[in-house]
This record gives sequence, C-alpha cells and structure tokens, in this order.
Amino acid sequence: MDESNHELEQATVWLLACARGDAKAFQRLYRMEAPRMLALARRLCGDPGLAEEALQDTFVQAWRNAARFRPEKGSARAWLYALLRYRLINQHRRTRRYDAEALPGDDWPDPGPTPEQCSMQADRRRAMRECLRGLQGDRRRPILMAFYHGFTYEQIAETLAVPLGTIKSRVRTGLKGLQECLRL
Amino acid sequence: MIPDHQEEQRLLIAEYVLGLHRGEQAVEIERWLAEDEQAARQAAYWREHWVGAAELLEPARLPLGLWRRVARETGIAVPWWRGLWQSAPAWRFASAALLVALVLAVGPLRQPAPVYTVVLQAPGEAAQPGWRITVADNGDLQLTPLTQQADYHADRSVQFWTLENNAEGPRSLGLVEPGRTLVIPAEQVGGVESGQLFELTLEPPGGSPKDRPTGPVLFVGRAVAL
Repeated sequence: MDESNHELEQATVWLLACARGDAKAFQRLYRMEAPRMLALARRLCGDPGLAEEALQDTFVQAWRNAARFRPEKGSARAWLYALLRYRLINQHRRTRRYDAEALPGDDWPDPGPTPEQCSMQADRRRAMRECLRGLQGDRRRPILMAFYHGFTYEQIAETLAVPLGTIKSRVRTGLKGLQECLRL
Repeated sequence: MIPDHQEEQRLLIAEYVLGLHRGEQAVEIERWLAEDEQAARQAAYWREHWVGAAELLEPARLPLGLWRRVARETGIAVPWWRGLWQSAPAWRFASAALLVALVLAVGPLRQPAPVYTVVLQAPGEAAQPGWRITVADNGDLQLTPLTQQADYHADRSVQFWTLENNAEGPRSLGLVEPGRTLVIPAEQVGGVESGQLFELTLEPPGGSPKDRPTGPVLFVGRAVAL
C-alpha cells in the first residue's frame, strides 16, 4: 500500500473518530488534509481570504456533521473535498477573471491517435490522472478549468474565446471519454 | 430537467459533480440524487475519482491561526494550561506544591509562574546553552540570554522561530537583539506544548525574506513542562 493510500485510510479513520467527539483525531485530520484543500480553495475562488474562510467553514461543518459520513460510500478525503467545492461553487461567485494560471496537466502531451487503455488495476485516484492524460488537450483543459477554477460553461467559453456550444460539446465528449476510461 | 435516457443521466451526474450546474438546475439534480440510489452512487464514484486530480496540487502553507479559529468555532479549543491541568492529576498536585513552595519562599508572587522552559543550545553543543525561554501561566514568553553574544555579523539579523506542528511549518516570533531579553505576549506566542521546538537563526537584515528560516540555526531547543 503506498503512502497516499495509507493517508486516505487514515483520514477515514480520523473522520469516524470525529463523529465520536475525538478532538485529537480532528486536529490530525486537519493537519493532513487542510494544506492541499487550501490549495484547491485558492484556485477555486481566486481570493486567499475567501479560500481560508471556506476552508475554516468546511472543517467546522466536517466536525459538526462527521456522524453523517458513511465510509462505505467513499473516502473521508472525497467527502471533505465535496464539502469544500460545494461551499465555494454555490456560495461564492468567482470574481477574479481567469488569468491564464497554469493548471495541473497543462504540460501533458496530447495522446496519440490510438489512446492507450487505462489500467483499472490502479486505484481510482490514480486512474483518474491516467484517464485525464488520455484526453485530447482541447477536451481536458475545459474540464480541468471547471474542476480547479469552478468555472461554469459560460465562463470557460468566455475565457477560451470559444463558442459556448463548442465548449459544451468538448466537455461532454471529454466526460464521456473519462467515463469509458474509468468504466463508470 | 432530468433526462430519461440513461447515458444522458450519467453525463448529467458527471457535469454536476464537476460543478457545471448551478442554481435551480443544481437543486433539481440534488433532489434526484437524494431519491435515486444508483445515481447517488454514480456521483460518489465521480467524487472519489476527482480526488486524484486534487492530489496533483502542491499543498499550500496553512496560515497562522487558522487552526485556532477552527478549534474556537467548533468549541474544542481548550486553553493549553487548562488541558494540562485537567488531563494530568499528577501535574495538578505537583504544580500546586510548586506554587506553595514559591509563595513560602519568596512571598506573594508578582510575576506569573513559568510553566514551560526551554534551553536553547548551539546545534551539537549540548554543553553550551545560549538562551533560556520561560513561558508563564498567562502564556507570555520571555527569551533571556545566558551568555555574552556579540559574535554575530553586524549586517545580519537574528530571528526567533517556533514549530508547533510540521503541517504548519515554522512560525516567526520576531527578531532578536543579541544579548537583550525579549518578552512576547501570549496572543503572539499561541499555545505552547511539551516538546515544541524553538530556534534562533541567522537571517538577512530585517529577517528572513521568506515565511520560513533561510539561514543557519544558531540555537535550538524544545519546551519542557515544569
């Protein structure tokens, strides 16, 4: 088991302990998960102050609602990220214009004409990275803009100066490609 | 509107998890996910997979005080001295005995009694203590020189740091004038725990240009509870 998987399991154990009122476990969960969540929050809202506020609220919500977490439905990490993204996407409209900030995956080359089959023996998270690499850049980029920047279809179209219909088509084709690769 | 066609439904879920649907449309999808177990499972799979993309980001440095704000808002923040008091009955007895002894020895206390101390030594020079730190029960910290220390370069600054946890990294407690006692108020110090690391580093004039030490460690030590 690699370190990342160990962390993932550890986070789940700690979140379950939070549901029993274990404050130490909560602090450990915060220390392990908060740094990368803050990185994502900053990208999503483009405002360091709002990002911190969102992270704070997310952990407060996580502590109060830990009893609702169901490990059989997913990992604690996925649960925490969902809380954070939901809060930022639904409660804050991004005000900063997209400034051509580099996205993870920008430097991945486009796949050749015959995309490699994605190995499903790998875990889900690694599989997602492999499958994203397998997408054409013009499909991958708008999807990543939605994920990392919280952009809507309209914002992506405006930023990339591409017609809305074209963007929707590219995103949907890309998502179908991911679906097939991930066998969802 | 939720489509009837299964493939369209799956695509809608993928879009929703990605955050591409907002407002009423999102509310309608959420209602559907709450009622349709298979659709909810599909959404959970997507969320789990997207963690892989989030893990590509470099972790950010957590701002000072963010954890304290979380702890305060959740109601789990306990003053460190109260935690120590409540969690270790032996400490209660020992501290009370120490206080009684001090009162008997020196009369009514004017200064708060120290509850932590740190001896800062040059790295690898255990026999050469350079500074002593005392943390009073009101949380104020005092840094006191133990030796004459005029040997620093005149064009450099000495900076005082503490490391509460590895996730947050070192935190600056300010610049130090060699040979001078420094008192730092509790709100700037934050909580101190046994084993907490303190160090003095040699930095460019005015202090480290980064949010962490950049120069050599002059003195280092860990907090010991009294």
